[in-house]
Amino acid sequence: MIKKVATKPLSWLERIFFIDFVRGLKITLKNAFRKTITTHYPYEKITPPKRFRGFFAHKVVDGTEPQPAFQEWVNRYNIQVEYGKSRCVVCLRCKRACPVPQLFEIEGKKLPNGKRVVSVFNMNMLLCTYCGFCVDACPVDCLYQTDIHETASYTRKDFILTLEILEQIGKDWQMRRGNEPDRIWIDDEQRMKLWYENDVKLPKPEGV
Amino acid sequence: MHSFWVDLFVAIIKISVILGIALGIGAFLTWVERKVAAHIQRRPGPMVVGWHGLLQPLADGVKLLTKEDLFPRYGDKFLYHLAIILALVPATLVFSVVPFGPEFEIFGYKVKPILSDVNVGLLLVFALGSMAVYAVALAGWASNSKYPLIASMRKAGVLVSYEVVITFAVMGPIILAGTLSTYEIVEKQVEQKLWYIWLQPIAFVVYMFAALAEMGRVPFDVQEAEAELVTGFTVEYGGMKFGLFPLVEWYIEGLTLSAIAVVLFFGGWSPINIPFVGFVDPLFFLGPLSPFVWFILKTTALFLFILWLHWTLPRYRIDQITQSAWKIMLPLTLFNIVITAVLAPIVWR
Ligand code: SF4
Ligand code: SF4
Repeated sequence: MIKKVATKPLSWLERIFFIDFVRGLKITLKNAFRKTITTHYPYEKITPPKRFRGFFAHKVVDGTEPQPAFQEWVNRYNIQVEYGKSRCVVCLRCKRACPVPQLFEIEGKKLPNGKRVVSVFNMNMLLCTYCGFCVDACPVDCLYQTDIHETASYTRKDFILTLEILEQIGKDWQMRRGNEPDRIWIDDEQRMKLWYENDVKLPKPEGV
Repeated sequence: MHSFWVDLFVAIIKISVILGIALGIGAFLTWVERKVAAHIQRRPGPMVVGWHGLLQPLADGVKLLTKEDLFPRYGDKFLYHLAIILALVPATLVFSVVPFGPEFEIFGYKVKPILSDVNVGLLLVFALGSMAVYAVALAGWASNSKYPLIASMRKAGVLVSYEVVITFAVMGPIILAGTLSTYEIVEKQVEQKLWYIWLQPIAFVVYMFAALAEMGRVPFDVQEAEAELVTGFTVEYGGMKFGLFPLVEWYIEGLTLSAIAVVLFFGGWSPINIPFVGFVDPLFFLGPLSPFVWFILKTTALFLFILWLHWTLPRYRIDQITQSAWKIMLPLTLFNIVITAVLAPIVWR
């Protein structure tokens, strides 16, 4: 059932003196003299939030893996763990989760000692929708998205992320932002303020 | 014979000044509009080209001029180009009856700062204003495309209704002044020590609404309606041809209609008025320049007010627009004329 909510009709006084117009004009006038909140982009850049969905990276093995899950997956797939290398256990869950069939190219190889390791991991960023499904699917917190967002380039080649690039981005990101707490804006005071100004007061739902 | 050459010389100077104002300021106003719009939305607007983006109109002009000139297939080339001329010329011509200040003497010659003080100046303004309908209708028709056609029909509908309303609205000041000449209307206001806004608030409000409708500004911008009609009847125009329509509609017409409003309701070049008592001039130190400054100040203020409205209000539906024109505005103006006719003898004294 649709609940009918009647808006109050304008009174004659409001109609004659354009009270609603005046109210709107007041708001725009107030805003016109406030400080602008624009970041002058190519000249000023703000740091994106930590959870920004930008280019991808592989977390490397550095002792911060989610345990015991990581060990279990390593044992199950018989993976050779190497310090400072990708955590990937070649489960292909990211490839299955992705809505684009040809985006991932993942291959593993068998080492002489019988253990396995990831050998090829290419991502074609030209096809990506940045939906983040692949990140959700990864069981060992290996694949994730970073704050790298200025990705424009003159050649298509630059959009293929290989295993080396992914690991490199991962290491770099861990060093830059690994210890940072999750926050929306870290170096934009205006936006920070807006975030706090905007305390929405919703009415309590009925029957609670 | 001698005076003929002087008159010709003066007229040429006036024409070049007016053309300079109309086209130069018109282009510059795009920058003003973008700045006002931006600040209302808490953005800084154009910032990169020149100091605070001051050279942006120039950059835009260069960009528009160097664009490819496309013409729609099966369009009507003659009407297509005629529409541009019909839009630009009448709108600019209106400036010829705008009085910028009182008569002054230079080298022993009396010069009126108005191009042609015709005794039916206001009639000319609204006759030229009505020409805009042709420009719009032709532009829509000649483009041979459905969006421009819808837009031009909408705009023509709005224009036709509001032309009637605006003509009736200015009847009030005309009755009070007893003349149709723009120059004399201002002189009468100075003589009677009365801005007509004090006696004609209804006429002023109706005039403003009608002016907004003629300029195609919010809340009457159905003909543009970016969301439904892309940009209305200019869809099929490219490059500078496209640039001319908004330039004419939004800026040149905006300027002329603000100037005419100042002439009719705010006493043209006269300083601040206390009804029936006299004038207070805080700018007296400017001497003979003060009337011109007052005229420019008032026109600017009115134009900025229009911009402010544009960036505040939402858009009316086409049926609401025509309805308010015929059912509310027209009866109001008729009522206003009756009241004015009763009041007029008090003002004439
Ligand atoms: S973000 Fe979405 S589209 Fe991009 S790789 Fe991951 S799953 Fe595929
Ligand atoms: S889901 Fe994670 S562990 Fe599995 S293949 Fe993808 S990146 Fe490697």
